[in-house]
Amino acid sequence: MNRFLSVCALFSMLFGSGLPAQELTRTDSEILFVRRVGPLLREKCLGCHGGTPDEIEGSLDVRTMAGLLAGGDSGEPSVVPGKPEASPIYLSATRQSDDWSEMPPKQAEQLSRVQLEWLSDWITSGAAWPDANRRKEIENEYEKKWASEDGIPVKTSGGLGADWTNRKYDPAGLWAYQPVKKLELETDGKRNAIDLLIEQAFPEGLRAAPRADRRTLIRRASFDLTGLPPTPQEVEAFLQDPAPDRQAFAKIVDRLLQSPHYGERMAQHWLDVTRYADSSGFANDFERGNAWRYRDYVVRAFNNDKPYDQFVREQIAGDEIDPNNPELLIATGFLRMGPWELTGMEVPKVARQRFLDDVTNSIGETFLAHSLQCARCHDHKFDPVPTRDYYSIQAVFATTQLAERKAEFLDCENRSGFDEEAYLRKKQQDYRQILAELDKVQLDKAQKWFEKHPARKKQWDEIIRKLKANGRKEDFFNGARFLMSKAGVPESEYPPNRLGFSPKQFGLERIARKGLQRLKWELDRYQPYALSVYDGLTREVKAVVAPTRIPKDRLKNGELERTAILAGGDPFSPTEPVSPGTLSVIDHLVPSSIPKSVDGRRLAFANWVASSRNPLTTRTIVNRLWLWHFGEPIAGNPNNFGSTGKRPTHPKLLDWLAATLLDENWSIKAMHRHIMLSDAYCRSSRHPYPELLRKLDPQRHSYAVFKPRRLSAEELRDTMLAITGELNKTVGGIPCRPEINPEVALQPRQVMGTIASAWTPNPLPEQRNRRSLYVLKLRGLIDPMLNVFNLPSPDFSCERRDASTVTPQVFTLFNSQNSLTRALTLAQRAVKETSNDREALVRCFQLAYLRDPTPRELQESLSHWHELEKLLPEQPPSTAAPPRQIIREAVEENTGEKYTFVEKLYANSDYVPDLQPADVDRHTRALGDFCLILLNSNEFVYLY
Amino acid sequence: MNVFFNLPRREFLYGLGTSLGSIAFSALLAEQTRAEQKENPLAPRDGHFPAKAKNCIFLMMEGGPSHIDTFDPKPALEKVHLKEFVREGEQKSAMESGKRYFVKSPFKFGKHGDSGADMADNWQHLAKVADDICFYRGCKVDSVNHPTAMYQMNCGNRFGGDPAIGAWVTYGLGSMNQDLPGFMVLPELSYPQGGAANWSNGYLPAFYQGTPLRPKGSPILDLQPPAGVTRERQRKNLDLLTRMNRAHAERHPQHDELSARLANYELAFRMQMEIPDAIDLSGESRNTLSMYGIGNAATDSFGRKCLLARKMVEKGVRFVQLYNGTWDSHDYIERAHGNLIRGVDQPIAALISDLKQRGLLESTLIVWCGEFGRSPDNGVRGGTKYGRDHNANAMTIWLAGGGCNAGHTIGATDELGMSAVEQVHHVRDFHVTLLRLLGLDDNKLTYYHAGRFKLLSQFGGKVIEELIA
Repeated sequence: MNRFLSVCALFSMLFGSGLPAQELTRTDSEILFVRRVGPLLREKCLGCHGGTPDEIEGSLDVRTMAGLLAGGDSGEPSVVPGKPEASPIYLSATRQSDDWSEMPPKQAEQLSRVQLEWLSDWITSGAAWPDANRRKEIENEYEKKWASEDGIPVKTSGGLGADWTNRKYDPAGLWAYQPVKKLELETDGKRNAIDLLIEQAFPEGLRAAPRADRRTLIRRASFDLTGLPPTPQEVEAFLQDPAPDRQAFAKIVDRLLQSPHYGERMAQHWLDVTRYADSSGFANDFERGNAWRYRDYVVRAFNNDKPYDQFVREQIAGDEIDPNNPELLIATGFLRMGPWELTGMEVPKVARQRFLDDVTNSIGETFLAHSLQCARCHDHKFDPVPTRDYYSIQAVFATTQLAERKAEFLDCENRSGFDEEAYLRKKQQDYRQILAELDKVQLDKAQKWFEKHPARKKQWDEIIRKLKANGRKEDFFNGARFLMSKAGVPESEYPPNRLGFSPKQFGLERIARKGLQRLKWELDRYQPYALSVYDGLTREVKAVVAPTRIPKDRLKNGELERTAILAGGDPFSPTEPVSPGTLSVIDHLVPSSIPKSVDGRRLAFANWVASSRNPLTTRTIVNRLWLWHFGEPIAGNPNNFGSTGKRPTHPKLLDWLAATLLDENWSIKAMHRHIMLSDAYCRSSRHPYPELLRKLDPQRHSYAVFKPRRLSAEELRDTMLAITGELNKTVGGIPCRPEINPEVALQPRQVMGTIASAWTPNPLPEQRNRRSLYVLKLRGLIDPMLNVFNLPSPDFSCERRDASTVTPQVFTLFNSQNSLTRALTLAQRAVKETSNDREALVRCFQLAYLRDPTPRELQESLSHWHELEKLLPEQPPSTAAPPRQIIREAVEENTGEKYTFVEKLYANSDYVPDLQPADVDRHTRALGDFCLILLNSNEFVYLY
Repeated sequence: MNVFFNLPRREFLYGLGTSLGSIAFSALLAEQTRAEQKENPLAPRDGHFPAKAKNCIFLMMEGGPSHIDTFDPKPALEKVHLKEFVREGEQKSAMESGKRYFVKSPFKFGKHGDSGADMADNWQHLAKVADDICFYRGCKVDSVNHPTAMYQMNCGNRFGGDPAIGAWVTYGLGSMNQDLPGFMVLPELSYPQGGAANWSNGYLPAFYQGTPLRPKGSPILDLQPPAGVTRERQRKNLDLLTRMNRAHAERHPQHDELSARLANYELAFRMQMEIPDAIDLSGESRNTLSMYGIGNAATDSFGRKCLLARKMVEKGVRFVQLYNGTWDSHDYIERAHGNLIRGVDQPIAALISDLKQRGLLESTLIVWCGEFGRSPDNGVRGGTKYGRDHNANAMTIWLAGGGCNAGHTIGATDELGMSAVEQVHHVRDFHVTLLRLLGLDDNKLTYYHAGRFKLLSQFGGKVIEELIA
């Protein structure tokens, strides 16, 4: 454990000895040992060289000077007093020696430059190793001086050892735990406080870029607040608005904040953080039929401008606030967002612990910008988060149990499309049919079997007869086997399981049986249940293969979990018990009292998180809001305000925003107004003095110029659908399934020993051409187009999207059937809405770029169109309808043999295609090629 | 044949095409975030140690092959065959607990090669190259659940999301051929449990992601435009796109991502012509094809993969991972494992001999393993045709070529094959050893992410020296 201690050395490098080596005396050497070198040896070397006396690597023992002088296997002394360049211990630590291997072996643990200086200075000055008395003497003498150099102590609930509890912190790394300070700014009432704070922080001599033009601004604001482009009419109206720029823009912001699509855009951001998916991940990847209701809850919360503190409380403890309010049960879906399952191949306690660890860390990252998992196995290496806090927070969830709870549908929920359930019912019917046929095969085989083993034939036949008489409809063979076993008949005297199956029958049985299980989850989608939790005892469950309902005896049956600190995070190694608690480092700011009762723990905890005095909560959300507008957060790691996260570039601004959120009664919409009406937000992305900008602000942290961004995966897809007129803008509802590459749609996907159903697109264009937020998100099958444009994996919280440029994006955008269909539809729309070629092209530019073409662009695109038309065939190639069924090939796991089976794709029988090349004339198809260019162009893809 | 699989574009079973052109494939996944970023992240680099192995072919037997029925004979099981016992406890999964019975292997074993390596008799072809193989029986993993165990074997971390070994290796060594991705994956038609996360780049830059080649349909999605779009038509569209993007860049001179995105289109256009050639098997002789078992129904599929792996190694691809499975034989192990062994035996033996005769075996490390081993016992599920359940405590991994300790069997499991008892190492040590064979030091192959230096072994590990010649 030693190397986990005294990490303050990392920070004390800031306070190095700083004396020239030649002036060091023997006393300095002693002091240097006590102050620096002793702890350094303990931290960096002792783990392998003396910490465990029975296992000393290379025979080198660093516990004493004698050990160092004796050296290790090499036979050479490790330290040559006075000569660091001849001392192997120093040479190893420099990692530059040809003769001595690099120490410590892990690169991540290498000595810093300052630490190397300490070691070198200590050897130069004689490598003193004072005895215990002398060490104490030195410590006493310098106690105060060193304490002030080392930083400040922090009060927490305490670490596993005194060293951790008493360690000192660099105050700069503790910024997030300080109370939020609102600056009293002297504004004349006209300047936005944000602008004052940003300009105050400008590097000397830097000037801001001018305000962006109206066309740029409305596009920027529309995408930022709704994820969709403005219509050409909206752009025109804004351009024509005689009001002054700021006022006119304020009206745009207000209008966008009222749009129902505002909530969708914000939900996209929020669900990135909370890891939304419609399936459970891992081996089964069962669909979470009810997850969509949580997704829509988030959309509603933003659209209704639900106060953020309430939003927090509902997601953590909605069921405890009011178990009779469906909305609040749905809200707790947040606690269920992580991947989770319990299969028969898993140890139940391990799976339970995985949920507890997941929810503990998720609460930390989402609301408090703290990656708490660092404290799962030990006290946090860098931050004042003891492992005791980790388990105290975990204890809040020790009575939280997973269930799909009854929650009546709300009027505000979109329940259209539920009739698609019929396709699933047909599939269910198929599976049942397979099992019935296999049952019959086995019953017949059983009769043959009894010809050779006649002893129990009568008993068997009698059981079958009774089962039928009792009204049983299916599964006679297994039912009879069960009853034979129950009656104590030896296994050898009744027919074995899966009697006489061929490889194909083995495979079919598994597919049907597991398919029925999977359907239970999918069918739950249309039922009034919520992906939720309840308070209760932890029951003994071996596997979860169907949606779970609240048991009637939630407080009787099961174990009341007694949370303890787990050694190494292992659920089978509990140590010291803990009570439900919070992050103790801010206890003095936000006191809490969490009951130990089964019910009510989460609500008390949620109140602590959502307290106006909790500086982590307010800073976390305003930092995210800033990121969502500027593409850069103020504190660089929105999920990590600890000392390993990037420090805020504008701490005063961050605090001003956090304080203002409270002034605005936690209104998120009010914060958008503050941010978007600032000059900083409205700046051009083009700076008048780029050289100056590069020189004075190389990191681009000043906000002197607006940072362009590539549209996100969802914005790209939604925008294409929007400008062609195909986008169904209905808000909320069950997930939709767009058309994706057939390779992926029909890709056999292994789930728990069987093959998942194929991806079948919704039959009607308006059903599948919905916003990307609503695309069915299976952890094991991500829409490839969205994937390639950096859709984050739902397995981890995404604090910030990537926007890398990789070549597969070109294949997707330039070659895919989806892109071509959008391009063709855009062309058709332009032709339909205009009366000649020039007008049609102008229309295309307006829809895609929100501007008219230049005369040159118009000329060039016109000639391209006409030239292309000559290249196109008179008749387009016909496109195939999607298959009504596919033949699956699989390797059967019982036999290792290949077999095939037919999977019917019922939805495809009602399939209506999007616009097809054959639906339009060659002239329009040629314009489609030009539209494809527009959709691929940088002007379309980037936001300025 | 997937007869309803009606793709409106060219299909590539591994094999059709002509020559390999000279292309800059390295940028296929190149994250060209900045135009001025000239340094090539896939340029070949020296490792931390001199190493014999330059490439790795990783044969992933997904599902958990049984060591007891392949390379680790357990005659003691004969005595307790079908004897019942009960195993319970909260540290057991439902699969492992309850009433169980021991089962002996249905296969006969023999000693092969000068080294006397143990192999089930089903390995008719592999037996001939026994002396090229180093068997390891001491590895343990943490999970008995497929996807988590797969993630751990492939990425070091049970819960996925971390870079795969192939990603780490290409990150550490770059690739020797700038015309192909450094890390290629040949999955089964059916992706393994855990899906594409098994070859993820995790938190490493996107360049290091495994590129799967789909055995059916387009090997890389949307590599070709839909039917009816001619090359000429596409070229003309691309030319106009380029002109429009250039004009746009002039209006936004301070936006430095534009030129990278522009160049990306040219690269993609060349690539869609060249990639099909890169996976062409038509130049191989009839002898070679039959040596790998190509054309024979049982071995065709894996034979193609093995031959393609050899071609890729010849072309300098750093890391190739082949999937086969599923080896998850809970029942009827005789039939199931029998068929699976037949499917890979000849192709793998051919791969070893072929690399050897071309002088490439020394520089190519072959790894054969699953995500865990199997239990000497079976749950009483009423069947008489027994199989085996999952076992995280014992498995057989073998290495060939690449400076491994060929001709030796390292470590041992207990009398029944329940648990490793000699040379026991956690899988992280095996990972560290793999890296060492490729000249990489796990302690130095690190990437700073989410507040700490991450590494393949998660927390560091030890080289299993006995596996290295």
